[in-house]
Amino acid sequence: MTAWNAIVGIVARDLARTTRQTSRLLGGVVRPFMWLLLVGTGYNAIARVEGGLPYHAFVFPGIVVMAALFGAMLTAIATVYDREFGMLRLMLASPAGVPAVLTGRAIAAALVGLVQGGIVLACAPLMVPVTPGELGAAVGALALAAASSALLGLLVAARLRSVENFAGVINVVLFPLLFVSGALYPTAGMPPVLRLLATVNPVTYQVDLVRHALGQAGEFTVGKDLIVLLCTMASAFGLTALLFDPEQRFLGGTSQRTPEAPEAAAGAGPAPG
Amino acid sequence: MSGSTPAAIVTEGLGRDYGSVRALDALDLDVPAGALVGLLGPNGAGKTTAMLLLATLLRPTRGNARILGHHVVGARGSVRRALGLVFQETSVDGLLTVEENLRFAARLAGLGGGRMRDAVAGAIERAGLGPRSGQPARQLSGGWRRLLDIARATLHRPDVLILDEPTVGLDPEHRELIWTILATERRERRVTILFSTHYLAEAEPADRVVLLSRGRVVADDAPAALRAGVGAEVAEIEGPGAERLVRALRGLGAVATVLRTERGYRVGISREREAVMELSLAAAGIERLQLRPASLEDVYFARTRGAGA
Repeated sequence: MTAWNAIVGIVARDLARTTRQTSRLLGGVVRPFMWLLLVGTGYNAIARVEGGLPYHAFVFPGIVVMAALFGAMLTAIATVYDREFGMLRLMLASPAGVPAVLTGRAIAAALVGLVQGGIVLACAPLMVPVTPGELGAAVGALALAAASSALLGLLVAARLRSVENFAGVINVVLFPLLFVSGALYPTAGMPPVLRLLATVNPVTYQVDLVRHALGQAGEFTVGKDLIVLLCTMASAFGLTALLFDPEQRFLGGTSQRTPEAPEAAAGAGPAPG
Repeated sequence: MSGSTPAAIVTEGLGRDYGSVRALDALDLDVPAGALVGLLGPNGAGKTTAMLLLATLLRPTRGNARILGHHVVGARGSVRRALGLVFQETSVDGLLTVEENLRFAARLAGLGGGRMRDAVAGAIERAGLGPRSGQPARQLSGGWRRLLDIARATLHRPDVLILDEPTVGLDPEHRELIWTILATERRERRVTILFSTHYLAEAEPADRVVLLSRGRVVADDAPAALRAGVGAEVAEIEGPGAERLVRALRGLGAVATVLRTERGYRVGISREREAVMELSLAAAGIERLQLRPASLEDVYFARTRGAGA
């Protein structure tokens, strides 16, 4: 019951925080539509995807995933603010323990991603031919995409020590994950190195799964997409749990801390000793 | 430890290194239930490290510690359930209201449903946060934020409170409010409190004071005993003739401790008060002479800077 209550508390808090950050919320909803309008419409005139699919129809699953990816990952990475302002330490000192803290944060971030991706997905009938059944399957695929994005976001946040790195992470992590995923152009046309990167990029499988769900041809089988995403989630959760342990005892973090910042070693931001 | 009731806090040689630096050498504590213990010392003395070790947020490099009989490494969950923590910096979410912050903390403590609602309502009432319960926490003053922290730390009614500088930066009114809440917790529920502070007067009512310096315990006793060790009274002596007078007082055999300060000397007087006064008043080159009761501040300076008897 302790862990359950902690998870409910963390989810409730994160969702309350998200709904009160209206500009961030608005940006998360508007961003994918801007991409659809600017990139989709522009490329629609010059690009034809193999199989005769119009570009805007090809890119739509990718934009749905993009909305979920940004929503979930940014919410998860915002954990770095909690580290900076002492809230993470509060959570880590609770009887619930690290797994409950991570589960709560992952559920909240995934819900944000699911809602943001879901808003774009709701426009599917305007963009691609889709049946109600396919739409339902796409919601399921989107939930998995949002959950795996949330866990990847937590993994990134586990190594971030200050909010100053936040913008850099968006450029260095989020955009490459999106661009090298088959969301905006087929991976088949990529140079070998990028293609290899796309193969090990979990977002590739998120896009592929949503593409399958919406009745488009995917690059991999649905089974492979599911296995890769579930394995990604399990390994991201396990690794993040180790990294989030205040002492990072399995990764040699304890001996690297300075005595001037014992609170930093204990899961908080910089503080006097 | 006595009988069937375990001591609230026990540490045996508890220490912590950061790389090659020894932040806390070896802390030995045996704190009975209901005690108020002050952890004093300069910045970097190891106070926060000791508290984080007890809070299970750091692992000891050496030694061990138990809270109400639960080992801080082997039984972290039980230790955390028994503890209420206030960290050096406030742990308040500015985007949530006061009540939402407390609901969040209650759920983290494992409370849900009616127990959570009762705990939050009780904490709000005890801390006097009622009129502010619907206010976003970012709108609170520093004092009320700290009271929110105290309300958060006590809402699940823990048996042991660990408070790292709970009143730092607060005005006297809010400091008074916080100590009143803590005194009530002790009186009504026999809560054990381990706190650190730089306001040494706050440690005067403590049952025991542990003074740390550079990771080592340099004094550990009741405040009265510590003050007595400095001298029954302390003479503050300033002026060009101060050094000569201190030598003369030493010759009188009345000096317990001598501390050189920026402006002169603080001399702990153990006996011969009348003779000391006579000698001091007759001394030349003394610009300021004040004889006053010894305080914990005198103990602090004598033990952390080093004193000669």
